[in-house]
Amino acid sequence: MSLLHAAAASLGISSNTLVVTLAMAAVGMAAGVVGCFSVLRRRALVGDAAAHATLPGVAAAFLLTGSRSLPVLLAGGAVSAVISLGLLVLLRRFTRTREDAATAIVIGVSFGVGVALISGLVARGVPGSGGLERFLLGSTASLSASEAVLLVLASLVATGLVIAFAKEAIVVSFDPGFAAAAGWPVWWIDFALVAITAVMVVVGLPAAGAVLVTALVVIPPVAARQWTDRVGVMLCLAGVFGLVAALAGVVVSAVVPGLATGPMVVLAAAAVFAVSLVCAPKRGLLAMAMRPKPSIMMPPEGPRERSRS
Amino acid sequence: MNLLRGGIDFLTASGGMHGWAMATAAVVSAAAAVVGSLLVVRRMSLIGDAISHAVLPGIVVGVLLGGRPGGPLATAGAVAAAMLTVWLAELLRVKGRLSEDAAAGVVFTTLFAGGVALLSAAASRVDADPGCVLYGMLELVPFDVVEVAGIELPRAFLGGVVVLAGILGTLWMTWRQQLATAFDADAAAVVGLPARAITNGLLCATAIVTVASFEAVGAVIVVAMLVVPAATAELLVSTLPRLIMVAVGLAVAAACSGYAVAWQAETNAAGMIASLLGVAYVVAVVVAPEGMLARAVARVRLSWRVVCEDVLAEAWRAEEAGSVAVAAPRGGMAGPLASWWLTRRGRLLSNRQLTPAGREEAEMVVRSHRLWETWLGRHVRLPVDHLHPPAEWIEHYLGAEMRQRLEADMAVSPTGPVEADPHGSLIPPER
Repeated sequence: MSLLHAAAASLGISSNTLVVTLAMAAVGMAAGVVGCFSVLRRRALVGDAAAHATLPGVAAAFLLTGSRSLPVLLAGGAVSAVISLGLLVLLRRFTRTREDAATAIVIGVSFGVGVALISGLVARGVPGSGGLERFLLGSTASLSASEAVLLVLASLVATGLVIAFAKEAIVVSFDPGFAAAAGWPVWWIDFALVAITAVMVVVGLPAAGAVLVTALVVIPPVAARQWTDRVGVMLCLAGVFGLVAALAGVVVSAVVPGLATGPMVVLAAAAVFAVSLVCAPKRGLLAMAMRPKPSIMMPPEGPRERSRS
Repeated sequence: MNLLRGGIDFLTASGGMHGWAMATAAVVSAAAAVVGSLLVVRRMSLIGDAISHAVLPGIVVGVLLGGRPGGPLATAGAVAAAMLTVWLAELLRVKGRLSEDAAAGVVFTTLFAGGVALLSAAASRVDADPGCVLYGMLELVPFDVVEVAGIELPRAFLGGVVVLAGILGTLWMTWRQQLATAFDADAAAVVGLPARAITNGLLCATAIVTVASFEAVGAVIVVAMLVVPAATAELLVSTLPRLIMVAVGLAVAAACSGYAVAWQAETNAAGMIASLLGVAYVVAVVVAPEGMLARAVARVRLSWRVVCEDVLAEAWRAEEAGSVAVAAPRGGMAGPLASWWLTRRGRLLSNRQLTPAGREEAEMVVRSHRLWETWLGRHVRLPVDHLHPPAEWIEHYLGAEMRQRLEADMAVSPTGPVEADPHGSLIPPER
């Protein structure tokens, strides 16, 4: 700990701020790794539904327990996120509503319920309810070191699960038909991946807020995908990108007063993505522009353009 | 009467504040519901979601240039941002080879984050705080008024009316094209309709509606206003004109009641409107014509009919064998219950013998059963001991017409007309 104090002192910040910043970097890394499979499985917006759906759960947990402690509030958020994912499955199975509309319904309605609950609590002057608004856009300023460490532990568990089941996740992501034919429980693997993503979204909530946290699990993996065709490399790169984005966002929002953390983290991630989109070898825009146009007589080199159908 | 007077008092209190706020919410929600209907039937709900987030930086830039949050400059900025969103998402999808959802996820979160950051950075020069962006300030709308022909009208209301009129007018003039594109965009393009222009117009309309509702409900909750009324209406009706009308009705009802409830409950109006829309959707899921309740009722009625017919057929077979059916065939509690019901309905006597009406119904069930066994035996060539189970199922579904066709089919077959089933039991004639 004395090392930590010394490091914090040399940077001119409190040791609490240093711990929180490092913890958010770890959360960003975990979110990048976990998000890879939701991007590969083309479920990027399921995380968005889960993120918006955390809000009523956070408010309800506060209402029921009266507690302001982060684990309690986030547990409430996780419960309502998982319920909303279950609702998505049910709506698809039992109603005429199509998947896109169902996702948008979950996003809009659960956010509305959350806002109505939170502003009702604030209007009644319930002590501590003002702190709930930080879950909308994210703020790490009020995090304590112990809460931050808890978030790191939760994200380590999520990352560990994804890495432990990487083989299953890869097969299901790239060829669900094969996985089903081989007798794997595709539905359960899918559900586990979605549930881990939901948990990661909840863990990222204090850093990025309900509206933007989905960017933490989408942008770093998408940026990593530009650089490589190998899942292992993509997982590592996404982790690094997530770490860089979270670190940069937290630092900028701490230095500049009045800036919420979430938007800064997202903009940092977007900058990493923009660089990846332009500069990546093979898939990057520059590389594609410099590559000679394939002639009709010659088969194209490298990976073929995906046909647009 | 008291309720009515209370309502009028509520609407006209403090210079009609509640009335104007409610009218603004209703107009804006109606415009969103019209646009949302087209988004939902064209499976573009998530594009609507993305655009409603992504217009934020456009609005902020418009405001920084001296416009108002709902004014023409902000609208222009929002439309530009919407087009930028669509163009960027397409660029990422084609050049960046991202899947559609990932492209949308990257673009709208980035633009929204940019908008919030811009807003925070310029907080001193703009009178809209990030909270307002997220959930609007409907309660404050009546205080920003503009004078038109000597009457003071809230700006947001006026803007909403203009947008609603514009959208309805455009829809009216392009109705045939809209209908064709909504039904099948590719086919519409093939027959020479400007499907691409229609789609882009829809995206612009989404941006414009988001701007119009920005002050009232914010840029996030507008998603609920766009998608939920249309998705609810889709469960209730099945043609586009009716869908739009029902969606608008639902949106207006939810806007008015949501504002009133929110005022009573001291909470955010936009959040409450979205919550009520969610309630309406859930109710529709349950009670819609093809909803969960209707399907559950249909399933129970079918099971009940099967049990009753089984009881009648059992009694008929017992009569045929010269005895009396001793117990209801199967189904646990359902059998005795069905016997009791059939006795009340005059199909069975209290000693379990059939009345004439009951005999008629039972004969048709047994006739279906035995005709099917015979037909299976002749055409599918199932062994005799495999004929009963399928016939036990289908006897409840064969109508008079199907029975006649089965009999006619077998009458022309080489083995000649049938009188008895493969077990040797006589097939009762059609009544």
